[in-house]
Amino acid sequence: MLSILAKLLKALNSEASPSQISLAVCFALIMALTPLLSWHNAIVLLLALVIKVNLSAFIVSLGLFSLLAWFVDPYSASLGEQILTAPGLQETWTSLYQIDFLRITKFNHTLVMGGLVVSLIAFLPVFFLCRFLVVQYRAKLLAWVEKLWIAKLIKGSKFYRIYQAIAS
Amino acid sequence: MFSWIRWWGLIVFAVIFGGGAAFFIFAAGPLAKLSIEKVGTMVNGALVEVDSASVTFNPLGLKVKGLQVTDAKEPMRNTLELDQAVAELELAPLLIGKGIIRELSVDGLEFGTPRKRSGAVEKPKKEKKDDKPNAIQKALSNVEVPSAKEIIANEQLTTDNAGKAFKESYETNKKIIDEKLDAVPDESALKAYEDEIKAITSGKIESIEDFQKRKAQLDDLKKRFKQDQEAIAEARQAVKTGREEISTALKELKDAPGNDLAAIRDKYQLNAGGAANLTATLFGSEAGDMAAKALHWYEIVKPYLASSGDDDETVKEEKRVRDSGRYVHFATNDPWPSALLRHSHMTAAVSAGLISIEAKDLTHEPKVLGRPALVDVEGVELHSMDSVTANLVFDHTKKPGKDSLKLNIVNWQPVDFKLGMGDIKLTSAKVQIKADANVVRGQLEAQGDADFGQAGFVGGGKTFVEKELGLALKNIKEFNVHADAKGRVALPKVSISSDLDRQLSAAFKQRLNAKQDELEAELKQELNARLEKALGDHADVLTELQQVEGGLDAKLDKLKDMASSELKDFKQQQEEEAKAKAQQKADEEKDALKSKAKDKFKKLF
Repeated sequence: MLSILAKLLKALNSEASPSQISLAVCFALIMALTPLLSWHNAIVLLLALVIKVNLSAFIVSLGLFSLLAWFVDPYSASLGEQILTAPGLQETWTSLYQIDFLRITKFNHTLVMGGLVVSLIAFLPVFFLCRFLVVQYRAKLLAWVEKLWIAKLIKGSKFYRIYQAIAS
Repeated sequence: MFSWIRWWGLIVFAVIFGGGAAFFIFAAGPLAKLSIEKVGTMVNGALVEVDSASVTFNPLGLKVKGLQVTDAKEPMRNTLELDQAVAELELAPLLIGKGIIRELSVDGLEFGTPRKRSGAVEKPKKEKKDDKPNAIQKALSNVEVPSAKEIIANEQLTTDNAGKAFKESYETNKKIIDEKLDAVPDESALKAYEDEIKAITSGKIESIEDFQKRKAQLDDLKKRFKQDQEAIAEARQAVKTGREEISTALKELKDAPGNDLAAIRDKYQLNAGGAANLTATLFGSEAGDMAAKALHWYEIVKPYLASSGDDDETVKEEKRVRDSGRYVHFATNDPWPSALLRHSHMTAAVSAGLISIEAKDLTHEPKVLGRPALVDVEGVELHSMDSVTANLVFDHTKKPGKDSLKLNIVNWQPVDFKLGMGDIKLTSAKVQIKADANVVRGQLEAQGDADFGQAGFVGGGKTFVEKELGLALKNIKEFNVHADAKGRVALPKVSISSDLDRQLSAAFKQRLNAKQDELEAELKQELNARLEKALGDHADVLTELQQVEGGLDAKLDKLKDMASSELKDFKQQQEEEAKAKAQQKADEEKDALKSKAKDKFKKLF
């Protein structure tokens, strides 16, 4: 049982370059800031699974950004409302609304539209910020963290030994 | 480039969505069955059962077999039952959670079928509403005519009470009067007084001693006179009071039968007013039941048809996600509400034959759809009417929402249509019915007309009214019934009018009058007998008392006369004697003066 869990963890923690971790965080950002049961999120999930990004970072980020979303959602929805009801865009939206495929994307939902716009705008800044932070962490904080009693406790556990054996 | 690709991730993705699809395929049917049964039972208030439910792929849809909806009021009967219903779903809306049924086909739809086991989901209600007589039936039940003896035996009669009061008053006063009369001197005593007075006052008073003796006797007699006068006055007052009290009681007693008769007449409503709204009684029950069922189902269905029609429900339409966000709908020829039945056509077997039901655009978000929901019902193979059409429109696309119904029935031939009284039945008729109803802001406004021709009635009943009504109806061949309903849908004010009332009331009034006269005569006889019994031998008590009072007055006068006249005679005697003496003396003096004067004249001449 521990071996299986260790293997799963290894799979999740593979692809641990700063870019792979940052990209995972950005995918999580899109999924978290828009309603989960939307078809664009299926595409995001497919990308997160197929492109070699760090899945652990993706899962943890999804949880953290989902918490953040509770506070951001009203603003995202308000933005989506403005976009969807903007007089200059009515013709565009109306013509898009006639296409079933696009309607399936729920583009006419204020939170989907607002959340997607916010997450796409934030995508690149978050990517580069995250990448910078990972690099800085590994360079300056990793050694200090490894000395913490909690890190030692984890490293001394049987599960970690199995994980290390599988990873190497 | 492929170094960036994680191939097993593709497999994971396929597993996730494949698993979801598999879950939908295998679990959707049982989940749909569970949902239909649970939600249906909750809404219906009685068991809703489904034999099976499964997903179909070509076309994509849901197939439900063996649906039974129990009648909540009759748990051993189904409101509706169907063999199979297939809902053809649209895939694209379904992918974003919108249930849009392109076509719903139903086979073997029947209404009012019997059940093998009870479909009740809660304890049976204390009393069936149907068993309760309605207000009109209650009112008319009072028109039932028992015999005069039965009425009198069951009624609290004022004649009896007044009789008791009269007897009590008579006996009480008689006792008092008798006591007082005992103290009054009788005729022999009065004669003795006369003799005594005569003895005292007759003869010449010989001396002063004699006078004083007689005076003492007279004073003593005067004292006795005074006592007797007081006794007579008291007796007279007692008689007077008694006479007044007995007179009041007697008046009340004599008025009582009349009052009783009036009260009985009011209570038993022996007037044609009871027949004034017979139509409501005859047709109101059946029509009321049908209307109540229709309104019951309307109340259940309404929230699912018109949720976006009302202000407070606008929010519901705008589906909330994480407490924020809504769908913005744009103009389109193909709007997608959250749930929609685009079209359904079905035939159903009802007691009148086969009917065709066509439904269009049924949704709880009519504003999104932009079209009203329509339900058209039409008779197909009818055996008891030439045609029937009912058009329902649920228009909540704008405020205020409006629900309307138009009903038209041509040549309905009811067979043994049981009416609301006794076992009276409408055995044959040709009926034309037109009705329309509108509901706006929860307020119902409905009216309907039914023209009955070639009518034939049989039956009557056990009660007087039912028997008489049965007889009266036999002569009526044509009539109309007009019904109005206004007010809140849950509790509309219903009025039913008809020229049948006029026709019936004439026939009924005549028979009622005869019956009333007959009964009143019997009642009067019974009440008079009671009056006579209460009066007994005291019918002339007032005359007797008056005579007693008169006798007392005479005695009092006689006593006064005796006392005053005899004493007066005695004084006169004294005065006359004194006067005579004085006169004699004056005469003597006069004579002496005259003699003197004569002598002086003689001397002068």
